[in-house]
Order: sequence, then structure tokens, then C-alpha cells
Amino acid sequence: MASVVAETIAPARVVVHRPWWRGKLVRVAGIVALMYLAYRVWGVSLDENGQEVSRFPWPNDLVWNALSLHLDDFQVWLLTERGKEDEGLVFTVFEAFSTSIDRSVDWFTRLLNWMTWIGVTVAGVALVLRFGGLRPALITLFAFSSFALAGLWEECMQTLALMLVAVGLSLLVGIPLGIAAGRSRRVSRAITPVLDAMQIVPAFAYLIPVVILFSIGPAAAVVSTLIYAIPPAIRITALGIRGVPVNTVEAAMSMGSTRGQLLRKVQLPLARRLILLGVNQTILFALSMVVIAGLIGGGGLGAIVTTGIYSNPALAILAGLVIVVMAMTLDRATEAMADRTDPARRHLDDSRKRSIRLLTVGAGVAVVLAIGLSKIFEVASAYPDEARGSTVTLEEWLLAKIQIFLDYVQDPFSFAFSITQPTGTFIFQQLLQPLQAFLVDTPWFVTILGLTAIAFVVSGLRPALTTLLMLAMIGYTGVWALAMDTLSQVLVAAAIAAVIGVTLGVLAAESNGFSKAMRPVNDVLQTLPQLVYLIPFIYLVQVSVVPGIVAGALYAFPVTVRLVERGVRDVSPSSVEAARAFGASRLQTLVKVKLPLAGDAVMLGVNQAIIMVLAVVVIGGLVGSGGLGYEVAQGLVRGQFGQGVIASLAILALGIALDRVTQGTRRARKEILT
Amino acid sequence: MSDRRGGRFRLPIGLVAVAALTALALLTTGSALGGSSQSCGTVTINEQSWAGSTANTYVAKYVLEKKLGCKVKITNITEGPPYFQAMRDGKIDVALEDWDNTLTKAGRTYIKDKSVRVVGSNGITGVIGWYIPRYLLKQYPQFKTWKGLKGKETVFKSPESGSQGMFLGGDPSYVQKDRALIKELGLNLKHVVAGAEPAQVARWSQLYKQKKPVLFYWYDPQYLNAQFDLVRVQLPKRFTGCLDDEKDPGKHACEYPSYGLDKLVSGKFATSGSPAVNFVKKWKWTSADQNFVANLIAGKKLKAEKAAEAWVKANSAKVNAWLK
Repeated sequence: MASVVAETIAPARVVVHRPWWRGKLVRVAGIVALMYLAYRVWGVSLDENGQEVSRFPWPNDLVWNALSLHLDDFQVWLLTERGKEDEGLVFTVFEAFSTSIDRSVDWFTRLLNWMTWIGVTVAGVALVLRFGGLRPALITLFAFSSFALAGLWEECMQTLALMLVAVGLSLLVGIPLGIAAGRSRRVSRAITPVLDAMQIVPAFAYLIPVVILFSIGPAAAVVSTLIYAIPPAIRITALGIRGVPVNTVEAAMSMGSTRGQLLRKVQLPLARRLILLGVNQTILFALSMVVIAGLIGGGGLGAIVTTGIYSNPALAILAGLVIVVMAMTLDRATEAMADRTDPARRHLDDSRKRSIRLLTVGAGVAVVLAIGLSKIFEVASAYPDEARGSTVTLEEWLLAKIQIFLDYVQDPFSFAFSITQPTGTFIFQQLLQPLQAFLVDTPWFVTILGLTAIAFVVSGLRPALTTLLMLAMIGYTGVWALAMDTLSQVLVAAAIAAVIGVTLGVLAAESNGFSKAMRPVNDVLQTLPQLVYLIPFIYLVQVSVVPGIVAGALYAFPVTVRLVERGVRDVSPSSVEAARAFGASRLQTLVKVKLPLAGDAVMLGVNQAIIMVLAVVVIGGLVGSGGLGYEVAQGLVRGQFGQGVIASLAILALGIALDRVTQGTRRARKEILT
Repeated sequence: MSDRRGGRFRLPIGLVAVAALTALALLTTGSALGGSSQSCGTVTINEQSWAGSTANTYVAKYVLEKKLGCKVKITNITEGPPYFQAMRDGKIDVALEDWDNTLTKAGRTYIKDKSVRVVGSNGITGVIGWYIPRYLLKQYPQFKTWKGLKGKETVFKSPESGSQGMFLGGDPSYVQKDRALIKELGLNLKHVVAGAEPAQVARWSQLYKQKKPVLFYWYDPQYLNAQFDLVRVQLPKRFTGCLDDEKDPGKHACEYPSYGLDKLVSGKFATSGSPAVNFVKKWKWTSADQNFVANLIAGKKLKAEKAAEAWVKANSAKVNAWLK
């Protein structure tokens, strides 16, 4: 019994008053100062034309130059193997898999079309009303109306069909794996690095192999989505299973439960809330891949965005907003459904039960009636484009409004431009350029040693060794300078995200109203396709690297807000009360007590911001950020497989290295994550 | 009492329904809900990212549907290996404007095994080069040729280019060799990547509106050329052995070749016997035609179908020649 008691008490342990990173900051600053000294002394020299060049760039002898060619050969080999009349077993399996996915997406699309737009709307609203309640049902009604009125009904149904299959498969794979990882440390340890990799490798990197293996079309789109959307399903499920109190498990075991019974009767029911949160997150992650899916034949809204930014930016923005509406609706609806159906929260008396049964029957009848009637009156499968009678449709009105915004943005004599342009130039010339010069020109061996030393000071020996290995790999594959360029952009973007995120996070923790107001902002920023808001930014900021940095910061800061908010809110009330008792003001309590105690959460927020920024680095490549992102983007679209893969691997290596540098000690990390 | 919550684990019905439907869909062959087919059948045309390609695609779609009774599906797959692979897999039948992707290493594999076939030119000659706004010539008439740029590069200074002039590179998916050109011509220019085409347009069009100097990668036919008055800077004439791929070692210091833009069909489609095959083989128009339609779509914001209809109605002679 003693061990049980120790385990249950552990989470409530008195918080250590000295955060783990105190004192370490001084040492880190020392290392950076030494690196800077090396940069000043050995950084640059002049070449024969009088141009400044790095004195110690990564030496050419230490580069595996043939790698790119080998990878290109591999691509050609894959292509010929795949093209053969009697392709091998492996390709036959891939073929069968991709055909069945194509068919199921197709089947869903046709089902949704067959139901007609009226049928789909009624069915969606009825389903949410029955299981989620009135408010989410109204949101759902609003969402379907906006799909119809924006003139994008067909595309929405294609995207919805794609998402149904992608999310269904993600859960089919993710939940069992999550359960396995939650029950066994060994499984968990084995798959964690794989999950990290799946989330850091930019989707662009695996598009070429995915297309070769699964062919263009819904199957390829679904597979790319799976790679990104499975990790949260696994992680959160595992977290839920692991979060079941040990004494409950032991009690069940002592009563003679088998492992199966334990899982079904104890662990799953207690982890229910987190598992459903995982479902919710999986949906949101999947939706953030819609645009990427549009590039490889996923069709739907994604295709509208990717082609729209070239020929009709207003339409692309409209489609982007529709994606946001779809994501937020799915998020709210699934959340409400998870809450309302939670057995722990429902205490039903007989009259309540009767009214629910009535609602079920009513909803069913409404759906059947709606589909039946729309069949009888031959309603079109999509909402008709031209609304009869009125001269201007809502779609045209919306597009005109967006166009007015775009025209304003494109005017170099506007008031907004006179602010954004100098700000952009300032960020570029005062922050980015010096940092970039420092990272690119510092002798390579100094940079490697310096970063490894920082990882050692902050996180310990093993993370330091991993960092060393990753940096060496980046150099060995020949993309050192590009990677340092990208690193400088990531650091600036992450710094901006951290400043915004910590400030807003603290505000959200202090004020419930602010916290509520932040939620839709966070959701929009995480689901609105970056390409959509980046193009206006380029008009406003005429420095090509800055829009990419802005995109990274905007995408990353919501996570920091959430982590910081949670960290500050979780500070033990007794410490706060004690401070108050000594007469500390609210501000003093915040600065002297809450923030230092939430230090670990703040550091984790910064760590996550860096990882998120890396995830959108490729998008930056599409709007002129250069560096690794551009290499990946170009590798994909020009079919330079080797170049694309090498740059993608470098992004992955950079991600792992940065994560190890900033993760903190294992103990500190575990305290926050569990 | 043990925990009250320890009841049966219940997933919401919606989730179960989704899983069940997925399983069902995986099992059914997908013909249950019926599809329609006509004598010509379905033709899938791939639309590329640039507006000219949208013009091609929708004009062809209009004629195929209205005159030949085909059903046309449009896909949006990136040029190069992605769309070649899609043709091999029978996901795309036709692409109406290929800028010599068939000559790349990966492209040749598909041509060799006949999964992709070139069926003649679409009538347009593509031009790639270095462009400047015409107003610059007033102050610097020497910018007509690359020699005039020498020594004057700093006119094109920007925040990113430091002490050098800025050369604004093209969309990463387009053919380009500007880094090599700058180096081999000995110009004091810094190649700045602007990213995808809309990003690049955002960059130079803002400078154009302020009547500031800008030098950039650009091409024709392009609908924006009707809105902005641009001039191509003359680069050294082409010579034998002059290369166009930056990655190949050798000499690159000559102008870009002119591209005869090709129509592509998939091997499967070519042998399908559909009347649409003949139509695609005969299909041909001019830069002016394409710019007209593309400008209606991207410039005037007309729906692509409407723009195509307008052009087809005004050009029945050309259209009839495709149908013979």
C-alpha cells in the first residue's frame, strides 16, 4: 500500500521554488557571448571582389555530395517499378489500398450529393441537436448556410467526404495505438520519436513519395492527412489512459479483473474525456491539411485556395474563411457532443429520458422527411449558384467586400502601408539580418559546439549528444548555410510568438472574459490556411522574408497562450493566498509569485512555439523566405526529389535539435506534461 | 461505492456511425449510387496554377460539353512529376499547356513508357526573361539590354539586397537559371527569391505603382501584361552549348529559349477512341486569345465558364476548326 500512497501524493507535492532554469540562463548567455566573440574574430573575410564571405563555411570535404543524385535515382527506380506491367507485391498492396480509399471518398461524396443540400443540412443539424444541444446545433445550421450562400457547397461536400474518411482512419489507427502506448511504457518510448518526426517533417516533403505510391487523388490526400492527424489521436489517448489514477487500477486488479476487463471497465471509461478530446484535435489537425491535400488531387476547398491565389485571390480568401467555419463548427459540435453524452455528467430522471427519446424520433423523422421531400421535388444536389430573383447573390457581395479589402492592401499610398512597411523593414534590418549574419558566418565548428553546450546546460547530456548528431547530419548533407538561414528566421518568429504568447497567456489566466475572447482568435489562426493571409501581407510588407516570419509567429503563438494560461492558472492557490496575506498587490502577486512558479510552463510554451514555427517554414518558402523551405517547395514542384528530401530531413534535424536545446531537464518536462 | 463513472464505455453514436460508414464504404464497390455516362464519356483536364492555363481549360471544357456532349472533370495537380504520375494512373486525360516538363529527367521516363504523349503545340510560344517597367527606360534607356545594367545595378537596391541591386526571382515551380546568368554575366545583383507567383506579383506590382525601379523574372503569355506595361531586357543571344538548367555545370549566359507549349494526353486516353481525342489534337489558339480569356477571369473577375462562353461565341471559326 505504501507505494500507492506515495504515487497519489506525488502530484500534490510542494512546488519547488527555484525553477530549473534559474542560473542556467547566465551560463547560456555566457556561451552565446563566446560564440559572438568567435563570430567577430573569425566571422567574415573579403574575397577577391571585395565581397564579404564566411571565413569558415562548412567544409566541402565533409559533404556527401552524391546523396542528392542517389535520391534522384531512387525516385526514377520507384517510377519504373511502379510502371511495370506486373508490379511487385508491395505496389499491388499500395494500389489496392489507394483504390479502396478513393472509392470510399467517392462513395461519401456521392452520398452527400444524393442527400441534396437540404437533406445534408437537416441531417447535420438534427445529429448535433440530438447529441450536442441547441447552441451547437444553431452553429451547425449557420455553417451549412454559409457553405451554401458562399457558393461553395459542392467543394465543401468534397472536403467533408475527404475529412470523414481521413478522420475515421486516423482514429481507427490512432486510438488502439494510443491505448497500447498508454498501457506500456515500452510501446510509448518506441513510438514517441516517430510521432515527433511525423509532426515536424513538412507535408511538402512526403508529397512526392506519397504521390508515387498512392497516385494523385483522394487516396494521396488522405494519406498525407493521416501522417499529420494520427499523432494527436495517439498522444492524447495515451495521456488519458496513463492519467487513470494508479490506486483505481490497483483496486480493480486486486478484485481480480483481467487485463481486458481492466481496459474496458476502468481505463477506457475514465479516459473517456481525453480520448474524445483526441478525436476533436484529430479533426482540427486533419482540417489544417485541406490545402496541402488540394495540391495532390484532394479537390474541394483546398483546390480552390491553391488555384485561387493565382487567378482569384478574393475567392481563395472566401474559401479559406469557409475552411475556418467548417473547422470551428466541427470543433464546437464534437466538443458539445462529448460533453452531453458523458455518462458521469448525466443524471437522467424518467421525464428527461422520455423527452430525449422523443427528440431522437423527431430528429430521425425530420431527416427522412427532408431527404424524401427533396427527392420528390427534385432538389439539386448542390445549392443553386444563381439565386432566382435577386440580382446580386450573397457570394458576389462577399467577394466584392473582400476585393475592397484587397484593393486597399494593394495600394502603396494607404495609411496601413505607411506603418507596416517601415515595421517590416525594421524587423528585417534590425533583428533578422544581424542574427542571420551571426549564424551563417560564425565558424561552423563554433556553432556546433556552442549549440551542443547550450543543450547540455539546459537539458542534459543525452539531449546534447542528440543535438550534436543532428547538426552534424545537417552539415554532412550539404545544407549548413541554408539551415542556419532558416534557423535565424525560426528564432525571430519564435521570439515574436513567445512575447505575444506569454503576454496574452498571462492576461487570459488573469481574466476569464479575455480567455473566452481569445478562443475564436486562436481557432482562426490555427485553421485559416497561411497562404490566404500571407498574400495580403506581402503587399503590405515589401521585404520578402518578413511575411513568412509573421505567418510562423501567428501560427505558433496560440499554443504558447494555452500553455502559459494553464501554467499560471495551475499555480497552487495556497502560494497566492500567502502572498496576498502579506499584502502583495495583484500585480506583485503575478510578477513575484505566479510567473516564477509557472516558469516551467512558460519555457514549454517557448519550446512548442519553436516546433510550430518549423511546421510552417515551408509555407514561408512559398512567399520568399528562402532557406530550407524554398528548397523543399522547389524540390516538390520541379520534381527535384533529392533536393526536396535533403532539405526536408534538414528541417526535421533542426527541429529535433531545437527541441532538445529547449526542452529542459526530463524531470521538469514530465511535471508539466502529466 | 466504487466510482460512479465506472459504467460502460460509450462512444457517441456519431463516432460509431462514422466508423461504420467508413467500413461500409471500403467494402462496397461504389457503384450503388449510380453515375452518369454519355457517348463521349468523361474527360479529365488538368488545370495548372497560372491564369492562362485556367483559360485553356475552361474554353476546352465549354466546347467539349456543349458541342461534343462530353462530361468534363477538372483537376488541379502541380505540373511535373505529380501530373505525369496522375496521367499514368489514368487520373488525368489531358493537359493543355506543358512548358517542356517532358524534357526533364523524370519527364522522359513517362514519355518513354508512353504513359504520357505529346500531341502537338497548343499554338502559343512561351517567352521567359528579365523584365522591367517601361517607365524606367525614360531615365535609363540603356536598360534595354543587359550591358546597360552593368555599373547601374544599385538602381535596383532593396532592403534585402544590401549594397547590391535586387533581382526578383520567379515562382519556385517555374524553369529558371537567373542565379547562373547573374554570376556569369558578372552583374552586381543579388538574386532574391520572392516565392510563388502571387507573392512575386505582390512585390513588383507595389513597386510599379510607386514608379520605382524593379528588375524581375517574368514571362508571356500572362494576363497581367495587359495591365502593366513591361519591357524585356535583352540578354545575350543563344549559342550552341548554352545550358538552361542551373544545376548542370557549364555555360548558361544566354537568353531563355522560346518554348513551344505542348498539349499532353495520357496513353490510356489516346487509345480510348473518344471523339475528344481528335478535338485535343486539333486544339490550338494564340497568346492574344489566351490573354483575352485569362484577363476576363483573373483581371475582370468573371466566372471562368462565362469567360469561356464569351470567347467561344465570338470565335466560332476557330472553334469549328477544332471540331473537324
